[in-house]
Amino acid sequence: MSNRPPDDYFGASMVGPRHRAEGKPNEDSWLGARGAFGTLVVVSDGMGSRREARRGARMACRAVLDAVRSWHKAGAGDLNELLVRIEPVWCSLIAPSTARDCAATCLFALAHTHGQIHVAAIGDGLALLRTRRGLEWIVGPRSGGFANETAALGHLASWTSRSFPRAGGEVVVLATDGVADDLLPERIDGFVQWLMDDFSGMAPSQRWRALQRELKDWPTPHHTDDKTLVVLRRRDGVLA
Amino acid sequence: MGWASYNEDIVSRRNGVTRSSTRIDRANAVRANSPPAPNNNGEPTLSKLKEFTAPNARPLPVLLLADVSGSMGANGKIDALNDAVEEMLESFGGEDDSRAEIHVAVITFGKDGAKVHQPLAPAAKVQWTRMTAAGGTPMGAAFDVATGMIEDRAQIPSRAYRPTIILVSDGQPTDEWRAPLKRLLGSERASKATRFAMGIGDDVDEAMLSAFRATPEARVYRAHEARQIKQFFRWVTMSVTQRSRSANPDSVIAAEPTDLDDFNF
Repeated sequence: MSNRPPDDYFGASMVGPRHRAEGKPNEDSWLGARGAFGTLVVVSDGMGSRREARRGARMACRAVLDAVRSWHKAGAGDLNELLVRIEPVWCSLIAPSTARDCAATCLFALAHTHGQIHVAAIGDGLALLRTRRGLEWIVGPRSGGFANETAALGHLASWTSRSFPRAGGEVVVLATDGVADDLLPERIDGFVQWLMDDFSGMAPSQRWRALQRELKDWPTPHHTDDKTLVVLRRRDGVLA
Repeated sequence: MGWASYNEDIVSRRNGVTRSSTRIDRANAVRANSPPAPNNNGEPTLSKLKEFTAPNARPLPVLLLADVSGSMGANGKIDALNDAVEEMLESFGGEDDSRAEIHVAVITFGKDGAKVHQPLAPAAKVQWTRMTAAGGTPMGAAFDVATGMIEDRAQIPSRAYRPTIILVSDGQPTDEWRAPLKRLLGSERASKATRFAMGIGDDVDEAMLSAFRATPEARVYRAHEARQIKQFFRWVTMSVTQRSRSANPDSVIAAEPTDLDDFNF
């Protein structure tokens, strides 16, 4: 047990009723990875109006992982040094397709081995950190505009990012807008606690299926979007 | 191979496809048809998720800016407008195949200035009060009321779909309308609304309607008889309900009548 990594992650993604009705695949994507750099989770939502949205989202997840690896190997400097690496990697991964055709949001959290938690995002959705002191919002709830309006990779958008020292017990929740837009902001704390209480103790495969089921049976009437939800937590943390 | 790549334990689940270790794949195969996670008593638990999620569908707001000036009382225009709005509300309220909940507000401009005749509410819950025609045409004030309503996130939350604004008038504005219209078209949220306008009769201000249209997808229709008001509202009803039923309620439907007389309802 002493060899268990200090961080754990879990998540799930489910195609939404709109894409199911159209016979299209899920255009959300997520990825979790552990390595010398620490623990990384990424979620991405391909912009629905774009031809290769699904590919854009998948490559966004891979681009963050590749960028984190190279950033860590290069000495893991300032967070901005990581952020500027991501979009060029993404552009090379989607080539020969254009950024316009592959536009996708990108939200990630990195529990770095050097002792910080970095959370960054381009586009809408949900990115929050729960600590012993309370909730820290990095993205969401929407401050303006309407549903389905977002910034994305490939659109010269800038990153929103925060870094936090690791004190133990932190929980990061990332989600695409299909989840984020229907969550009640005033109940977010309860939502995070529910994820910890009902899911963190499950075996991974059972947890994945249970989360898939929750996303499929989403309770808001007439919901349409693909849904992705990912949790990164400090294993055996005080709050978890 | 360095320590980093050797120790990486990458589990990537994309598009519902699990790409994980053989051990997990086998576990999935065994448990593929298992029931919901049991509680301590071995019984499936009911999800608490609905405690944390919005209980209503995303709203699709429709704002009607209705001219109730004295001239609308002539030739049965106000009666036709009242009947048309009533019919529209009935259709919206009875819409049960919708991916959005259609909300309607009616802003009138006439004798009492610009005022909210019907606050924004789900169409199915609106108790319609008929409008009466009298006074001038303070359309500029109505633009400001509409802008304020759309920019108010308490009334139209950010999870709402883009609103539709419908402007119906039979005359020329009697107040300053250019600056209020500029505010509407320049505001963060109201500028994104889909806009339809109907000009009734020959006295309508063409320049104002063109300015309201502003973008190619916005439409201006002309009516010369009261019956065409009803036709216009039937078409608006059809447009909005098609949007609400469509896979993407933010999309604007392509089929649009260029001449209401040629449009069979």
